[in-house]
Amino acid sequence: MRILIVEDDLQAADAMDRGLSELGHTCTKAADGEEGLQAARAGEFDVMIVDRMMPRMDGVTLVESLRREGDQTPVLFLSALGEVGDRVAGLQAGGDDYLVKPYAFAELSARVEALSRRRETGSVATVLRVGDLEMDLIGRTVHRQGKDIDLQPREFQLLEFMMRHAGQSVTRTMLLEKVWEYHFDPQTNVIDVHISRLRSKIDKGFDRPMLQTVRGAGYRLDA
Amino acid sequence: MRLPRIFRTTPFRLTLLFLALFASAASAFLAYIYVATAGEATRRTDRDITREMISLASVYNRAGVDAVNQALIERAASERPFLYLLMTPDGRRISGSIEESPIEDFAGKPAWTTFTITDEAPNGRLVRHPARGLQERLRGGEILFVGADVGEDEAYVMKIVRALWGAGALVVILGLAGGVLVSRNVSRSMASLTGVVDAVRNGDLGARAPVRGTRDEFDELALGLNEMLDRLERSMAGHKHAGDAIAHDLRSPLTRLRARLEAAYLDVEAGKGDPTHALAQALEDTDGVLKTFAAVLSIARLQAAGTAPDPVLFDPTELAADIAELYEPLCEDKGIDFAAELAKELTIRGNREFMAQALANILDNAIKYTPTGGAIMLRVRRRSSGEVEFSVTDTGPGVPEEDRERVVHRFVRLENSRNEPGAGLGLSLVAAVAEAHGGRLELDEGPGKVGEMGPGLRVALILPRVA
Repeated sequence: MRILIVEDDLQAADAMDRGLSELGHTCTKAADGEEGLQAARAGEFDVMIVDRMMPRMDGVTLVESLRREGDQTPVLFLSALGEVGDRVAGLQAGGDDYLVKPYAFAELSARVEALSRRRETGSVATVLRVGDLEMDLIGRTVHRQGKDIDLQPREFQLLEFMMRHAGQSVTRTMLLEKVWEYHFDPQTNVIDVHISRLRSKIDKGFDRPMLQTVRGAGYRLDA
Repeated sequence: MRLPRIFRTTPFRLTLLFLALFASAASAFLAYIYVATAGEATRRTDRDITREMISLASVYNRAGVDAVNQALIERAASERPFLYLLMTPDGRRISGSIEESPIEDFAGKPAWTTFTITDEAPNGRLVRHPARGLQERLRGGEILFVGADVGEDEAYVMKIVRALWGAGALVVILGLAGGVLVSRNVSRSMASLTGVVDAVRNGDLGARAPVRGTRDEFDELALGLNEMLDRLERSMAGHKHAGDAIAHDLRSPLTRLRARLEAAYLDVEAGKGDPTHALAQALEDTDGVLKTFAAVLSIARLQAAGTAPDPVLFDPTELAADIAELYEPLCEDKGIDFAAELAKELTIRGNREFMAQALANILDNAIKYTPTGGAIMLRVRRRSSGEVEFSVTDTGPGVPEEDRERVVHRFVRLENSRNEPGAGLGLSLVAAVAEAHGGRLELDEGPGKVGEMGPGLRVALILPRVA
């Protein structure tokens, strides 16, 4: 994946570059908003990581300019501002996701991957398939190897998100944000309990577990 | 020039203003009295003169000029004599009590005049009196002048004028004295308040304004000032305590973190051991520090802002059901009986995200302290006051009554829970959220002691009714 990193903190940019390159991505760095805008216009990227507060041109202005020019490249905002209002402002400017500093690298990479995948599967599939697991989005039913799996509404949403991001690591924070739509940090890992319930429904009684725990990151649904 | 303090006070200035207004009103009133009395005296004199003129003219008409002459002589002896002058048609004196007419250019039409007569007092001094007079031409061409000494009237009017001046002066003096008294009184009350402000400015946060119990606006101000100072003092104490608590909350994990990193570094340097485990633990410690930091920041921002950001109207029941759904599996896993009782058709106004976090923190706390086999009840209801109350009741060990007030304040942790990470911040954040929404947090005893369990804790988040 080609990733543009627009970040004025050069050490943070280097750390991102190193980590993402190790995962096989190609990174281009820009040290401020102006430079970022030039780079974004000049090249084709799959995802852009944009710091919100930068000298010369801030991240929100940069993304607004790109969106006006018709550039739809997914954007992940990075910010030290984590208030609800800040997040909303970032998303309204055309950002696709919002990550508050400081973050774990696993969180960053999971979100970058989720963004790139989002673009590929912009289709309006009515049935999701991951391995032998099948989800009917209209009939609200789930089968594995032909067996019905009975899910609560929230479990259904949780599984849908996992299936849409099959093969990718998703973090607990991402799940809380995307499935429950809460942006706070719970003191206990409530998500773990929900995942283990879901796991007991889709993996119990089958020869091969699909829902994996990724150490230090979160979970992954494998085919 | 610097005026004495009393003259610079607001009450004194107000007094002056009112005095000016009152003095103008009094002046208008006194002027009216003057016109009514002095004018009346002049009118009466004029009437009398006119009547005398008519009476003499009728004598003339009936009996001729000699009869008038005779009448003048008779009347000169009366008690309050008029002044007379009878003249030939060409203005030469025939008879009368004055030598010549004060009216010099007589055109022949009746004419009024005000003039001065000079009289000799018994002691020989000359006294001048003001007088009024009317001159008319009689039918036969003779000229008759009738005048009257108005000295007495004038004296009467002067008396009234003097009385009016006296009254005016009295008004001003009384007004000024009243102003000084009122200003003194108000100044004294203000001085006690100013004294408190000065004391606070000089760093004595314990200073309080005296309340006199008169329930007037000074008492109200004093009460308000005292309440403000109470809050300020509590808040300052909170900040001071917060500093200590942040130091405690952050120093321990940071010290641990440093020790781990140092040990790992030394191990790697000495070429022995695998640093992976130490690094993983160091990361975990860092996350702990960041969590504490984030909570501290949230609380500080809420308290600094005073109100919740981006408030919206929403259904508290829906939110509670949502959070209940999030936490219910956690209860089940721990073997805690979870139930919810949610009233319908309620509305609250606030920041949904903060409210969700507050509710999550309360539930989180309850689950943390409730032992397996215990129970947790989540309730949403409307209180009779119209307020909306979220409450979570658990069967954990509860919080001793004397500690409840403390436990909701920032960073306070009970001694026996010192080792639970971040436990001090949960309810502090809830309290900050409640306050930012104009509500409050209440802690009570739970259902009581049952066997090994209890007495439990009931945490209520109470929000104001939506107008």
